[in-house]
Amino acid sequence: MSPFYYKTAFETLQELRKSGERNPELVVTLGGKIIYEGYTGKLGDEVWSVYEQVFIAALDYRNDALAETCLERLEKKFPKSPRVKILTGMKLEAEDKLDEALELYDEILKNDDSNIATIKRRIAVFKAKGQDQRAIEALTHYLDAFYNDAETWLELSSLYLNYHLYQQAGFCLEELILLQPQNHLYHLKYAEILYTNDNITNINLALKEFCRVLELCEDHVRALYGVKLCTSRLLNLSSSSSIDFKTISDLNSLASERLSKVYSLYSKNKVGNSNNELRQIIHDWLNESDKSY
Amino acid sequence: MSHQVLSTLAESQSLYLDPAIRDWVLIPIMVVMVLVGVLRDQITVLLGGGASTKKATLKAIRESKVLMRGAALRNYGNHIPPSSFLNRKNYLTNAYKKGDYLKNPASMNQTVNPMTDPQGMEMMMEGMKKNIAMIIPQTVIMGWINFFFSGFVLIKLPFPLTLRFKSMLQRGVETPDMDVTWVSSLSWYFLNLFGLRSIFTLLLGEDNAADGMREMTAMSQMTASPTGQPQDFHKLHLAESENLELTPHSWELNDIEHRLLSRYGKREQQKVIDSPENFIENNEKNAIEATSSSSEHKGKNRRKSGKH
Repeated sequence: MSPFYYKTAFETLQELRKSGERNPELVVTLGGKIIYEGYTGKLGDEVWSVYEQVFIAALDYRNDALAETCLERLEKKFPKSPRVKILTGMKLEAEDKLDEALELYDEILKNDDSNIATIKRRIAVFKAKGQDQRAIEALTHYLDAFYNDAETWLELSSLYLNYHLYQQAGFCLEELILLQPQNHLYHLKYAEILYTNDNITNINLALKEFCRVLELCEDHVRALYGVKLCTSRLLNLSSSSSIDFKTISDLNSLASERLSKVYSLYSKNKVGNSNNELRQIIHDWLNESDKSY
Repeated sequence: MSHQVLSTLAESQSLYLDPAIRDWVLIPIMVVMVLVGVLRDQITVLLGGGASTKKATLKAIRESKVLMRGAALRNYGNHIPPSSFLNRKNYLTNAYKKGDYLKNPASMNQTVNPMTDPQGMEMMMEGMKKNIAMIIPQTVIMGWINFFFSGFVLIKLPFPLTLRFKSMLQRGVETPDMDVTWVSSLSWYFLNLFGLRSIFTLLLGEDNAADGMREMTAMSQMTASPTGQPQDFHKLHLAESENLELTPHSWELNDIEHRLLSRYGKREQQKVIDSPENFIENNEKNAIEATSSSSEHKGKNRRKSGKH
């Protein structure tokens, strides 16, 4: 058996903690070794965050014994810490005792109503219970104060989308664009929501947003498709006079051109039948949609 | 005459310091200062539990974050469609004016009196505790040094300095002729007071209360608003609402189709320069007019791009 290099293990765990990546299998293997083979003393003060990390990974990985060990040691060291209480709550959640977990979170929030981690866990419990309504309420309440939490806005928008509430979801995406105007993915998602929420103004808007994505990220395939779809729709809706036909048809042909270019480049790089097939399909689709008006 | 001065300088430079001064004055002052610093850190922990343990409530966070939200809307509002911008603007200005985001909407029009506001009182107490923990030991040490070691010369700096440093390095020793590199006991105390921060960081960690200087700088900033006086958020909110109302909106995406097409060479590049008169005019009008007039203005030079 190769010797266990605990220092590399420590470093790996630390890197995972920093990046926030969830890799339960690796963390449980390394953490289990560190904890069961008595390397914890070598960690110094870092040991507590390692315990926390291993605990969460163990829950993910359904390693209850390991989770129990971690939690016991943390509770012994920090009997009153809300952070440890949250971990207890997570354990309850993992055991499907959602109501008890909820009670615990409510209790923490009673003493400290700005504990972000607890607020988020509470929302997660609502989601797990299938009470999306309450989850949305809690999310909006939270975002009213912490407006600059991008991930939470995304979460809220996806909840709204589950209920086909496109306008509300669009609002969330607008907030995200305000937070990170240069992030093309937010523009893309916003455009897609607008396109899905089908009416003529929204499609005009969606077209603009798709164009913005292309401006921020060159030849973004999804945005090219978006431009293609929007322009086709607008060209078919020829009734309204304010639409500028020339620009739209130019955009339409531009999207076709870029798409076929992108796919031909793609199939050049990777030779294979499936790629050629794909290219053919795209080609046919583009031709067909061009014919339709 | 000049010869005499030179000779006295030379004599002072070969001044001989008793090693006992090093052992019984120089090192003790430093040790005492370090120990007092550590003690003060402990006392602060005992008195207030440290500043970091006190957490703001959700409402307090909300109250201050909404200001940042308004600023964000002002800065990046051009990236969202005009209607969305207007919605947000109207909502936020109304909320600011009505004081919806205040911690305590009822107290909107009263100026906050720190003596009656429990939180303000708490803050004041905290400040007082810190100040007392800082001032008492410093006065005691300074008195101690003045009483026992006034007029002592402790060390000689190994590098030459200009005369301007004399008042800094030889406090308490009023001799005009002595070379600047000699350091008096009182100055040694000040050097320690200002210079021990990194040692405290080493001993007590980043977030220690041992170092008096940080509080001193904090104090000098606080003179503008008396100790721990809570800010009047309603005034800040009103100011922000005014700022927001004056913010025009010119949508980034107004001519995006054109930009994109000319980027791929489908259109020739067109330059549109907003003349300064136009810009000012736009600013003066209210936001709705500003957005529509700017888009019209651009529309003259290009064409109206879609409708919104």
